Amino acid sequence: MIDRRRAIGWMIWSAILALTTVLMLGARDQLEQSHVALTMLLVVLGGSVAGGRALGFTLAAASSLVIDAFFQEPYGSLSVNKPLDYVVLVAFLAAAFVTTELLARSRLQADRAEARASEVETLSRLGSETLRSAATEDVLEAISTLVKRAIGADSCAIHSSDTPWTIAKGVAGLRETPPASTTIGLPGDLERRAIASGRPAHVNAVGTVIEHSDEDIGQPPELVLRARELALPLRAEDRIIGVLIVRGSNGLVLDAPRRRLLAAMGNYAALGIERTRLIAEAANAEALREAQRAKEEIFAAVSHDLRTPLTTIKVLAQSGAARGEPSSVAIAEQADRLARMVADLLESSRLKTGSFSLTPELNTAEDLVGAVLGQMEGVLNGKTIAVDIDFDSPALVGRFDFVHTLRIVGNLVDNALRYAPAGGTVDMRAERNGRWLVISIADRGEGVPVTERERIFDAFYRPSSATPDAGHAGLGLSIARSLADVQGGSVEYHEREGGGSVFVLRLPAADVDDMNAVDVESETA
Amino acid sequence: MSSPLTAAVGTRAGVILVIDDEMQIRRALAEALADISDMVLVAASGAEGLALAASSHPDLVILDLGLPDMAGVDVCRALRRGSMMPIVVLSARHAEDEKVQLLTVGADDYVTKPFGLAELVARVQAQLRRARAPTRPTSSPMVVDGLIIDIERREVRRDDTLIRLTRTEWQLLYTLVTHPGRTLTHQQIFDAVWAKSFGNPQQYLRVHLTNLRRKIEREPAAPRLIITEPGVGYRFVVPPE
Repeated sequence: MIDRRRAIGWMIWSAILALTTVLMLGARDQLEQSHVALTMLLVVLGGSVAGGRALGFTLAAASSLVIDAFFQEPYGSLSVNKPLDYVVLVAFLAAAFVTTELLARSRLQADRAEARASEVETLSRLGSETLRSAATEDVLEAISTLVKRAIGADSCAIHSSDTPWTIAKGVAGLRETPPASTTIGLPGDLERRAIASGRPAHVNAVGTVIEHSDEDIGQPPELVLRARELALPLRAEDRIIGVLIVRGSNGLVLDAPRRRLLAAMGNYAALGIERTRLIAEAANAEALREAQRAKEEIFAAVSHDLRTPLTTIKVLAQSGAARGEPSSVAIAEQADRLARMVADLLESSRLKTGSFSLTPELNTAEDLVGAVLGQMEGVLNGKTIAVDIDFDSPALVGRFDFVHTLRIVGNLVDNALRYAPAGGTVDMRAERNGRWLVISIADRGEGVPVTERERIFDAFYRPSSATPDAGHAGLGLSIARSLADVQGGSVEYHEREGGGSVFVLRLPAADVDDMNAVDVESETA
Repeated sequence: MSSPLTAAVGTRAGVILVIDDEMQIRRALAEALADISDMVLVAASGAEGLALAASSHPDLVILDLGLPDMAGVDVCRALRRGSMMPIVVLSARHAEDEKVQLLTVGADDYVTKPFGLAELVARVQAQLRRARAPTRPTSSPMVVDGLIIDIERREVRRDDTLIRLTRTEWQLLYTLVTHPGRTLTHQQIFDAVWAKSFGNPQQYLRVHLTNLRRKIEREPAAPRLIITEPGVGYRFVVPPE
């Protein structure tokens, strides 16, 4: 194809030379020799541009002969002694040479620019594919196919180091078994070495494994690497996350642009693998959240399913009591006890599984105490709760979750009421002590023996002295302590002077000195 | 027909609608509420309840949240769209967030299961009183538990002694007093008191309220006027007439 086109070029330019000669011969008498020489120079230049150096030189030589033979006297004979001959020949040859040289250079530059342009296009297309939401496997597949084609390899495989399997491989021509000639460094070995060292490694033309000295593939730009196989480690944030392997049974020729392309592809492959990992991680986190949500839904459902029948029992018993049925009062009381135990069990499970949320806010001890008193109104059974708060000192402010803390104090008061003697008093005291808000609940019960003072905070613990029908699951104190702990506070037992127990709740106190900065006495009140 | 549950207060309603899927609870509530109303209607589902509410114009609705066919919030919102009658919610759930959500879409009060009948009846009566009362004339001072609140003159007195409140405390009291018997969520109170000012963050709401109680309650640690609804908000008690 190329030869034919070249032959046609030669024929055309020979014809042009002949035609020019014939035309000028007709007007030989009117023409000066310089006119002839310039016209012929144009032919030489034209031939050089169209047909390259060989045609240019040939035309230069032929033109010199034509001038010698037909345009210098004596006409019709060749003689190198004619004065213009050497000048013309040298000038023509020089013109042809310079022209073709310039042409060759600009062609080379154009070729390079074209190669660079297609490289950039390839990279940008892959880059956008990697970053777009296309499936990672597809992206890796695209990368390996592209690498295979771009560098003329038989196969290109991308392995992730996390997983033992190949994520993608340019399938065509992939050799599953190593060729016998690969004497040193079995496949697999090469990639392991690359992963271990973090640097590329290749098997050269005679089968020797060569590890590269740094992370680039072959240093000097003019170097042309010849390899049968090359392994390029893939990195993400300084971790080796995989390896890219190219193989060519006839030897891969890796010049600087190809190595650059390979390095760029390696980066994209790393991005792809990293994305697979991140997606897996995100899916895992999503699954955990889902599990947590399911757990909370179960608690809500159990809570609903247990409370609804209890409500029915209680409501029925109460309406029975209103009609004067004697056993109804007892039924209502038992329903309440059952409801409390259910609440304790649910609360305990919530704490154990972490299925609860904490909302620490600025709250006051007084508000808390008031709410507890409101809750306890119906269960005092003739006992009283005495509150000791200094109302002349500033409000007792702390940062805690109101609902959970109400549960702590409620459980402690409930416990104190249980052990306080009939008709006795539970003393509740709230004060500020340094960075702590301290709420203590004291009873005049029998107290707790030294050996049991920590065990009373264990779940399901019942003191040895307790009656079998204590009406609770033994979870109240355990829940109280756990809820205090998660808020950065504590619940402790102390022996009370003069007999009995003191349970001390500590919570982080808060200062609100700036609270009234913009609040002034109302003008009219 | 007088029972121990309702002996204390004589507020009666015309029609009370109970929406609950538990047959036994419907029956027990109908029985208990018969003493304080002319008629108790019952519905076993959200759809049935909405239809009954539209046709019979009840004076008050008791709404259970665990209905099989509709989310409680949606029933509540639909009920409120049609009318201003009080809505008392029966909540079986542990979550305070749900209560806040319901109060926000228009419920007036709630009781948590398992509730006491006496408590429920008292809440219902409080709501009826509130709904029945004409828009309180601001010219006449309100008297609660010995506390005299004169809204027009912005004065609070107890035993002839003027109680001095800060501007924020007065705004708090005003907001609660003008919604007697209604549980206002923390957010609702904050919006009413602080909406127009800057620099006094919402977090101080409870501290201001504690200070207000110290000034107006007989026993600040055992409040009778402003009741705490844990995790939800505050409620000003309705003074019996």
